[in-house]
Amino acid sequence: MRAILAIAHNTFREAIRDRILYLLLVFALVMIACSRVVSVLTVGDEDKIIKDLGLATIGLFGVLTAIFVGVGLVFKEIERRTIYTIVTKPIHRHQFIVGKYLGLVLTLAVNTAVMTGGYYALLFLRGTATPRLLLAIGMSFVEFLVVTAIAVFFSSFSTPILSGIFTLSAYVLGHLSWSLLLLRDRIGEGFGASLCVWLYRILPNLERFNVKAEVVHGLALPASQLGWSTVYGLAWTSLILVAAALAFTRRDFQ
Amino acid sequence: MKTLWAVLLLAACGLAVAGSDGKLRVLEQSRPVAHHLLYLPNGKYLKLATLGNAPLAADLIYLWSIQFYGDYQAEDRYKYVEHIYGNVVTELDPHYFDPYWIGALILSVETHDLEKALALLDKGFANNPDRWIYPYLAGWECSYAKQYDRAVSYFRQAAAVPGAPPDVARLVAGMYQKQGASQMALQEWARLARETKDANVRRIAENRSRAIKTDIDVATLRAAVERYRAARGIRPRGLAQLVAEGFLASIPTTPDGEEYHYDPATGEVSAGPARVITN
Repeated sequence: MRAILAIAHNTFREAIRDRILYLLLVFALVMIACSRVVSVLTVGDEDKIIKDLGLATIGLFGVLTAIFVGVGLVFKEIERRTIYTIVTKPIHRHQFIVGKYLGLVLTLAVNTAVMTGGYYALLFLRGTATPRLLLAIGMSFVEFLVVTAIAVFFSSFSTPILSGIFTLSAYVLGHLSWSLLLLRDRIGEGFGASLCVWLYRILPNLERFNVKAEVVHGLALPASQLGWSTVYGLAWTSLILVAAALAFTRRDFQ
Repeated sequence: MKTLWAVLLLAACGLAVAGSDGKLRVLEQSRPVAHHLLYLPNGKYLKLATLGNAPLAADLIYLWSIQFYGDYQAEDRYKYVEHIYGNVVTELDPHYFDPYWIGALILSVETHDLEKALALLDKGFANNPDRWIYPYLAGWECSYAKQYDRAVSYFRQAAAVPGAPPDVARLVAGMYQKQGASQMALQEWARLARETKDANVRRIAENRSRAIKTDIDVATLRAAVERYRAARGIRPRGLAQLVAEGFLASIPTTPDGEEYHYDPATGEVSAGPARVITN
């Protein structure tokens, strides 16, 4: 456990020195601030636009951070040849992967907290801040956990560019996987329908973590839905991390 | 020499850009302003491309639509209003109130298409059955169009939604009154006076009930007096004569239980000496 925490700590320190992280963070805060300007253009409910834009910005920039920082995690160690030093230490490879993952999750937690702070500062100024919005941000964070795991998985055996493309594709597919069930309903029984169902099962459904509309419109949001969505996210994260650890264990660094 | 060629090449490219841009602008102006709206896909499909940010996409298209419809220079800008609000924005975010409201307003006021305005508000209510505001707005649209039957139906729907303000129920009786259906209005006001828990609404309903009952009674009495005069050639000496000679089943009393005043000289019927009520 100490080894994992040491790697996580180092990964965090390394990530917060990364310029891309600051670039994304500043851009996200600017976007959140701009939502006030955009909302002026509407006729009707300005607060709804500010809330939507803020939540979407936090979600989008969290995912971009997970992808851009995550895909280079393992590759950088190989490129700098520090991996050769690490593999000679009494550290298991799965510990290395989990440590890297936790370091990035910590970075994302700090990142999300800063974005949430900026978002709430704007909402407080307008007098429309409500703790319920934290539910949507919390579920977005569960989504970050899954996307980060996917980025680490691809990073464990591929180059940053390919890992980035694969992770981004997985993110897009994860948000579209629900449409496979719609497609199944359209094409009826048969091989195609079965294929849709199987594809749906093997892809994480990232829409399960999307409760932004429910939160903004004040719709019913059962605790069981939030609880099971979190369990679903953690289960996928664990599954992907195990696969990443397996892929990384099989790599030959000789 | 190379620099000169580079500058000349840059100038030529700049001219080509400016020239082609000018030509394209002329071509674009010859097209109907709203033609590109046709290519905005249905929100059901657009939702797929938003990757979980459908409400934000709805906000952005709604914002764009506000700027677009606010441009009074474009003559044909109101084409496809129902597509933008009904098929795109409200499909992306079915709980977003503003597109239903503004869309219905544009459809009824600018394009004078009441049916499409009502269809949009009906969709809003179907997607948000806990919001009384949709049938309430639809009721007013029907009222402006003098379609009071439909207005009554919408206001009834609005009043039946839990949490609707008690004043909404008054509009049902109000529409019957506008329609000239006094008996229906009286029944509605009386029912409201019995059932409402709001003291202000009860006071208004009781006052309205009394006023309408008085109007109905006076009209009935005046009609009987007229029938009598037509049959006998003279006005009756008193209201009792109308009953005695079979022109009226019984003489009604005012809501306070008093008799109506009748002036045999002029044939006027009133609820009291100070107030001559006519239809």
